Amino acid sequence: MPAESFSLRRDPWFLFAAIVGGTLLLAATAGPFLAPYDPYDISFTVLEAPSAKHWLGVNDGGMDIFSELLTALRNTIMFGLLAGMAGTGLAVFAGVFSALRQGVTGLMLMRLADMLLAIPSIMPLVLLAALFQPPPSLMALALALFLWAGPSRLINAQARMLVTAPHILAARQMGGSLWYLLRRHLVPEIYPIALIVLASRLRAAMFMEASLAFLGLMDPARKSLGSMIGYGLKYYFLDIWSNWLLPPIVCLSLLIMSATLLAMRMEKRMDPRLQNLS
Amino acid sequence: MRLFTRMTWMPALSAYLLTALALVYASFALPRLLPGDAFIAMYGGGHVAMEAQEEAKIRASARYNAASESFTQYLGRLGRLDWGTSTAYETPVFGLIMHALPWTLLLMGTAHLLSLGLGFILGVEAAWRYDSVPDRLLTSVMTFLEGIPELGSGVLLLLVFALWLGWFPAAGGETVYSGLSPWERTLDILHHLVLPLATLVLAYLPGNALLSRAAMLMTLRQPFMLTAAAKGLPPWRRRYAHAARCALLPVVTRLGLRLAGMLTGVLVVESIHSYPGLGTLLFQAVSLRDLPLISGIALFSSLGVLTVALTLERTYQYLDPRLKQQRVTLHAC
Repeated sequence: MPAESFSLRRDPWFLFAAIVGGTLLLAATAGPFLAPYDPYDISFTVLEAPSAKHWLGVNDGGMDIFSELLTALRNTIMFGLLAGMAGTGLAVFAGVFSALRQGVTGLMLMRLADMLLAIPSIMPLVLLAALFQPPPSLMALALALFLWAGPSRLINAQARMLVTAPHILAARQMGGSLWYLLRRHLVPEIYPIALIVLASRLRAAMFMEASLAFLGLMDPARKSLGSMIGYGLKYYFLDIWSNWLLPPIVCLSLLIMSATLLAMRMEKRMDPRLQNLS
Repeated sequence: MRLFTRMTWMPALSAYLLTALALVYASFALPRLLPGDAFIAMYGGGHVAMEAQEEAKIRASARYNAASESFTQYLGRLGRLDWGTSTAYETPVFGLIMHALPWTLLLMGTAHLLSLGLGFILGVEAAWRYDSVPDRLLTSVMTFLEGIPELGSGVLLLLVFALWLGWFPAAGGETVYSGLSPWERTLDILHHLVLPLATLVLAYLPGNALLSRAAMLMTLRQPFMLTAAAKGLPPWRRRYAHAARCALLPVVTRLGLRLAGMLTGVLVVESIHSYPGLGTLLFQAVSLRDLPLISGIALFSSLGVLTVALTLERTYQYLDPRLKQQRVTLHAC
């Protein structure tokens, strides 16, 4: 690669996203230790205003909102990570596999991706949630079955260029197995794209989790940034927006924003066509 | 991109039909996997006290869930527009959907038109003034906005403009029983449309503007742009008649690829603003545990999105005449 005209380390957007995303991740990980109360403890005065004891006040069920927020952040991120990683894994596998097997199987796999792309993924999830009330981890995996479709196309295009490269042809010629090719050559070279895909899938999955929870399709007792906004909105006529509505909105927006920015800036760094512009 | 270029008309149509059939089959088979009958499915997990009469009514209204119905019978029933009966509203599901559909179409249609038009013009103008102050400002603002989810911006707009400032109504699609003249009624509907529309445009605009700008930057470097300049054509003609035509293609492609995913945001925005469309209907159906209505909306909107995607694919061929000559590589743009 020529002299680096655009470095992620000096890109303010990327740094901002990495710091914000990292902080939120840290807060979610340390959540159980940071939370002053049990988020399911309902023994406080209902709808109490913020105070030194309850930084963000108490909700309609008598739960401490700050503790609730930490748990919700954790749940939303966990859902996003599970669905995002599973979706990215499927996308890498499908994209690379169909580049190596360019016969009927590969074609079918990419056609399947086209079809999945045309289905609004929230609808099967709505149906699934309404009928079976599956646990969040299952919902995340079901979402992953739709998340891979878009990026697998991108990875497939890249992998198709790779498989005709001399060093991979040589490895195949010498009898390198599919697994060997994947592990040794394709996955390491696809890796940067997979990171971009992961960031974009994280965004999609967290957005979906918040939306499903907001619409009331997740377990109503489970804390989520989406369901917090949903419950808070029912009391919008009270003076609760600054302590109950705003915190989950800000957290969710920062989460989505950092994932979006990470994906956008890494993409800018990767795209050779955009490099030559400056 | 590939979704549009690779498939020709007939395979595309049959692929869409196959997808539609798979969706219909899922909506047929999934409820039948449930143990017990419709009543147990809805209330089995909760502690609900209900009189035997009410219980019998719910069982009767969900009679279609009987295991005896075959898939062909189910298909025929859907074709006859008999989509079952809502347990909560006790009216046909299809009627409820048709009642909500115009509102969703109005909201989505105007949001897409506005954000496509505005985003495209912004992107083209920014690319033309590459690296100037307005260009940098626009890129930064759009990058920032791209990261804000509808759930956040929607609630904030509602709080600020409906509750705090009181400029726009907080809920509904129009003022009911107002006895307004047609002209006043139109204005009233538009007044109610502003907040949900603004939320959606804020969500769609950044992607369109940024992509238009990137596509335009690529096009501006093409040799034919130099030719156009050498011919002495005025800047606006070079910008729109020559370059922007090429830059429009990826923007429309993106819409086709993203359309299905964008539905999530519409559902959320409608529920936030209590806009009387399909999203709010679904929200109510979920809170009332109205299974026939939920699956009806899910199936209907999936099929609707498929149809729009197919139409967009057709439109794309008119936008790019090269596609008619089959498999010409698209590197020029």
